[in-house]
Amino acid sequence: METALDIKALEVRYGPVRAVRGIDLGVSKAGITALLGANGAGKTSTVMAVAGVVPPLSGTVSIFGQDMTGAAPDAIVRAGVAISPEGRRIFASLTVEENLILAGSATGSIETATERRAALMERFPILGERRRQLAGLLSGGEQQMLAVARALMNEPRLLLMDEPSLGLAPQMVDTIFGILEELKSEGISILLVEQNAALALEVSDHAVVLANGAVAASGHPSDLAGDDVLKSAYLAA
Amino acid sequence: MKTKTILMATTIAAIGGTAFAEDYVIGVMSAQSGYLAPYDGPAYAGFKFCIDEMNAAGGLNGTTPVKLIVKDTRSDIALGVQVVQEMLDDGAQFIVSSADADPTIAAAQITAADMIPTMTFAGTAPVLTQVGPHVFGSYPADNQQATVLAGYARDQGFERVWLVKSPDSAYTLGGPEYFGEAFSALGGTVVGESNFSLNQPDFSAIVTTIQNADPAPDVIVTWAWEPDFPAFIRALRGAGLDTQVMGGDALDTPTVRGLGDVVAGVAHSSGGFPDEGSAYADFVDRFTAATGTAPDNNYYVNGCDIAHMIEQAVAAAGTTDPAAVSEAMAGIENGQGIMSNFTFAETDRMPLRDVVVVTITADGQKRFAKRETADPAILPQP
Amino acid sequence: MDVLLQQLINALSLGGIYAMLALGLAIVFSIVRLINFAHGEIMTFGGYGIFLSMAFGLPPLAALTVGIGAALVMALSMERVAFRAMRGADVVSLLITSFAVSEILKVLFQNGISARPVPISFPSSWSGAYQIGGMTIGVAPTVSILVTLISLATLTLVLRRTATGMAMRAAAEDFEMLRMLGVKADRVVAVSFAISGLLAGVAAVIWTAQRGSVDPLMGFFPVLKAFIATVLGGLGSLGGAVQGGFVVGALEVLTQAFLPDSLAPYRDAIVLSAVIAVLLVRPDGLSPTKTGARS
Repeated sequence: METALDIKALEVRYGPVRAVRGIDLGVSKAGITALLGANGAGKTSTVMAVAGVVPPLSGTVSIFGQDMTGAAPDAIVRAGVAISPEGRRIFASLTVEENLILAGSATGSIETATERRAALMERFPILGERRRQLAGLLSGGEQQMLAVARALMNEPRLLLMDEPSLGLAPQMVDTIFGILEELKSEGISILLVEQNAALALEVSDHAVVLANGAVAASGHPSDLAGDDVLKSAYLAA
Repeated sequence: MKTKTILMATTIAAIGGTAFAEDYVIGVMSAQSGYLAPYDGPAYAGFKFCIDEMNAAGGLNGTTPVKLIVKDTRSDIALGVQVVQEMLDDGAQFIVSSADADPTIAAAQITAADMIPTMTFAGTAPVLTQVGPHVFGSYPADNQQATVLAGYARDQGFERVWLVKSPDSAYTLGGPEYFGEAFSALGGTVVGESNFSLNQPDFSAIVTTIQNADPAPDVIVTWAWEPDFPAFIRALRGAGLDTQVMGGDALDTPTVRGLGDVVAGVAHSSGGFPDEGSAYADFVDRFTAATGTAPDNNYYVNGCDIAHMIEQAVAAAGTTDPAAVSEAMAGIENGQGIMSNFTFAETDRMPLRDVVVVTITADGQKRFAKRETADPAILPQP
Repeated sequence: MDVLLQQLINALSLGGIYAMLALGLAIVFSIVRLINFAHGEIMTFGGYGIFLSMAFGLPPLAALTVGIGAALVMALSMERVAFRAMRGADVVSLLITSFAVSEILKVLFQNGISARPVPISFPSSWSGAYQIGGMTIGVAPTVSILVTLISLATLTLVLRRTATGMAMRAAAEDFEMLRMLGVKADRVVAVSFAISGLLAGVAAVIWTAQRGSVDPLMGFFPVLKAFIATVLGGLGSLGGAVQGGFVVGALEVLTQAFLPDSLAPYRDAIVLSAVIAVLLVRPDGLSPTKTGARS
């Protein structure tokens, strides 16, 4: 089976801190892998290493069968990867529309970008309504939608979603997870980093639990739900 | 002391190989960069040229070969103090210091202990010799220049002067003040003054103040140098003011003369002018022939005159002993120079010399206007 | 009244130059976290570009164009040669690198061209004046203000309306995120240096036209003021840098114009005290950067 993302023995360091200590991780095509663990377990570092902004110390990152270890972020985007990062990181001083245009400017032509933008505004009607507003003025949930929409501008085949539910009202969390399942049904592979383990296990078809930068457990979500390893991984922090 | 000198001389001979006990060692501070470079550079070139000529003929007075130690100060006073100390350690018996009062004063404080005679390349602020009896000027002092320039201004019918000065250096502050005193003594009036800082970015505010002054000045006097003077004159002409501008000897550089129309008509004092057939004109020819560079300002020839001053002081002293040379220098009366003759006797060691007023022409040449020795009756005292 | 108006024009003219320099510093800082101490040398190089092309007989307008081009080339080469290798280094390492670049260039100017100021002689028609309602206004400050305003307006338009401008604004906010969207880092950084070089080139043109000479330290002093302006405006804030530039220029001209002579030596001290006073009230500057919460 060809995988969307295949990480082998990945190691990431920030100075003396070993944030990720040789983990293996995979996302199958059109599948959702949940990456779980407490704060500081190495989840975001893993995502950043895949996105190309943090160079891995060792190990390999393959994307759709292609070795992309240490590649520049733009090459990774062109390989079909997009990210909706932790903290959303939308460009607050740009309008909603500008955020989307910018995201589409890296790949593809203006025409396709305009088309995609129109389609995304249909999918997220609130963004269409607020297109001329500064993104910084949106509510938290709207910003999260913008972050997802922005990631979709490049028509990714693999989506990295880091903490999409953080700080959102329950209703908004449902909406976001609804979108996730839609994306999956469209054939997009997703690596989902989520602190809300129960929710993540519900939508994923594979789960990996990190503790102190190493894999503490991995397997099918139903096997891991209620697992002691999962609980202790969270308590370990 | 004696042992130390001998020991030092042998050490130099041993290390340098070229220095002999009877060499007269002169230490030279020369700024290769920074604000003093436009003055130290030419002065050193002229000085070295004439020392070389003398050495070719057997040395000072044909008998005392000169050895030069030259060190760059980068126009930095602290570095200047350091290099003077190094040169003294290397046996310097005479120090030629940078072309401004402040580094000269700093150097003179180091040389005071052994009374090593110290002469500035072209520092003209008369206060510089107040450090002690071993400190000498070489160029006509600011008060002499200002007196002659004020006389010229009055000759031209100017009545109301505006002074543009900077408290940041003795030169930029003193020159305009002496001018003001002499100008008033000659019946003119100081109608206003402005202060600037060295390397001031912008002169438009000063220009606007002058522009709106009532009564309006008919002549503006500043002792500003580069790059402040070019900035000032451009701002002044740029604001549409064509008031006559006069300045001190620091305007005697190709950069100022290269400014084009804006400096046309500017008058400034200086130490000499190469009249045809004069010793100065002959120096220009010899220097040009030897180095391929035409001396385009007076600092070259003044540097050469420093060599003559040292030669005559050593001759008069009959020894190279520093204190004796200082004393002999201070007693020189009507010594023979190339730019002009010089008298140290009965001055406070700023030599009394001719001052020449020149005007700058539109095509960047100097035109002779006046030569005179300052009248002691109206000479402002430091 | 006339005097005040004329001094205000002077303040605008000087403030405009500081604003352009400060903006150049801010654009680069906002994207690569580099406080570029060698910015002054970019400006100086532009000045030498003007001097050399006039020495080789180019007409003044062409020489000015060469000057701006020279500053642009210098900014881009600086980025390529010195700063690209240091990308991602911490602020202090970058600052020290820029000190080194600045010193090296100053020495090259001194030894390669001249330690002394070199004169630039522009046509006399450029230093005329005209009358408005009995007030004499110089052509040079007027042109300087116009050029500054046109430059700032053009840049604003580019930043607001073009895709490149959008990327620059986004980069200033969160460069890493922009890269994760697939935008090439090298290009954005190069554009930021190009803009800062162009602004320094325009500043060099106005500066040399007003001052008439170029020396190795030409850019040092105005850029020092521009640094103060960027801090005053809020480090990394583009609008703040422009505001800061105008404020510093105005303070400088007005203290020169209206302080009594006895206080003149304290002028810089007074200007800097005013800046510190502002920073005490608004520690992040006049218009601080809008950065979203970042974990």
